[in-house]
Amino acid sequence: MSTEQISTNVISTQSASTKHISVKRYLPDNSTETYWQEYDLPVDDSTSLLDALNHIKEQLDSTLSYRWSCRMAICGSCGVMVNGIPKLGCKTFLRDYEGDIRIEPLAHFPVQRDLVVDMEIFLEHLAAVKPYLIDDNPVKPYDPNAPETYQQTPEQLERYKQFANCINCGLCYSACPQFGLNPEFLGPAALTLAHRYNLDSRDNGKKQRMAELNRHDGVWSCTFVGFCSKVCPKHVDPAAAVNQGKVEAAKHTLIALFKG
Amino acid sequence: MNKSTSQRLPPLKRNWWLKHRFFKLYMLREATVLPLVFFILCFLAGMVALLQGAESWQGWIAFMGSPIVLLLNLLALAASLFHAATFFVLFPRVMPLRIAGHSLPDKAIVAGQWAGVVAVALLFFWLLGRGGV
Repeated sequence: MSTEQISTNVISTQSASTKHISVKRYLPDNSTETYWQEYDLPVDDSTSLLDALNHIKEQLDSTLSYRWSCRMAICGSCGVMVNGIPKLGCKTFLRDYEGDIRIEPLAHFPVQRDLVVDMEIFLEHLAAVKPYLIDDNPVKPYDPNAPETYQQTPEQLERYKQFANCINCGLCYSACPQFGLNPEFLGPAALTLAHRYNLDSRDNGKKQRMAELNRHDGVWSCTFVGFCSKVCPKHVDPAAAVNQGKVEAAKHTLIALFKG
Repeated sequence: MNKSTSQRLPPLKRNWWLKHRFFKLYMLREATVLPLVFFILCFLAGMVALLQGAESWQGWIAFMGSPIVLLLNLLALAASLFHAATFFVLFPRVMPLRIAGHSLPDKAIVAGQWAGVVAVALLFFWLLGRGGV
């Protein structure tokens, strides 16, 4: 179980210090130009970036738009760029920053408004790799005398468990220069989920997913920059999954070659 | 939200990799190929010189001994060692090895690869040493 610190605080106005943050604003109803807006906020040791954004929204400037929900690094909706690095707002603490704190919307996605990006292409890439259990056998009616359907040993679980921790926050897409250069690249999270299901002992869909994985915009667009794994807030290590996918794709090609 | 008001992002600029230390290190890793290309060209030239005869071979030996070539080849050696160091760390993540149902620790795989480098280097030193006698 994760014991990582999460943000739950309401900032008290009698806090010890104030911090200065700059937010990149984009209000398409007013102008097509972006601009930087500065805010001074009261902060304490437990102030997360999400607390700070909420404080701005509630106390200073209600026009600011951003996404958030759970405040505890599981919904994956509060991703933003902090000084150029993709971060979850709820898992980023202002105490760790001296000097400039520049907040921008997630890189490599079209911006809709302020810190809100359009994640459509990411969702399309996710759907493309069929990230769910595919079973050739038709679903049998539940038989209480033989409830062995989908049994899995701890060892079998261990093979893919790490890759199943993805929360679809999209930070890895903002970290990936290959996705920035070519949005058709399926990208870290989608390829990781594909690999996660390919590794699952209950799944029979590898053949279907290989067609998506084993092409230029699939695993082969990855050059192992590895920044996706650095920024992943759940330590999924997408770079490892994508490159294990390359090994699988190469095997798949070789086998297909011999089968003729 | 109306899609037409979405701001389309401009494509990534060519200097994207200058923005972050991590990307610079990545480009350095990729750039190690440049001195290695120089080494390979030297090596191929040596093969050709060997085929052409003694005079050509002596010329090649002299060329390889010149300070600038020596320096570039030392750079190629350093580059290949740096690339190996980055690659060896990545290897267990790409090919996690399992023996009898247990995954090998990453450190053991990295150490194994360096042991391989040392073994190959020792083999070549031995072969070259024997050739000299």
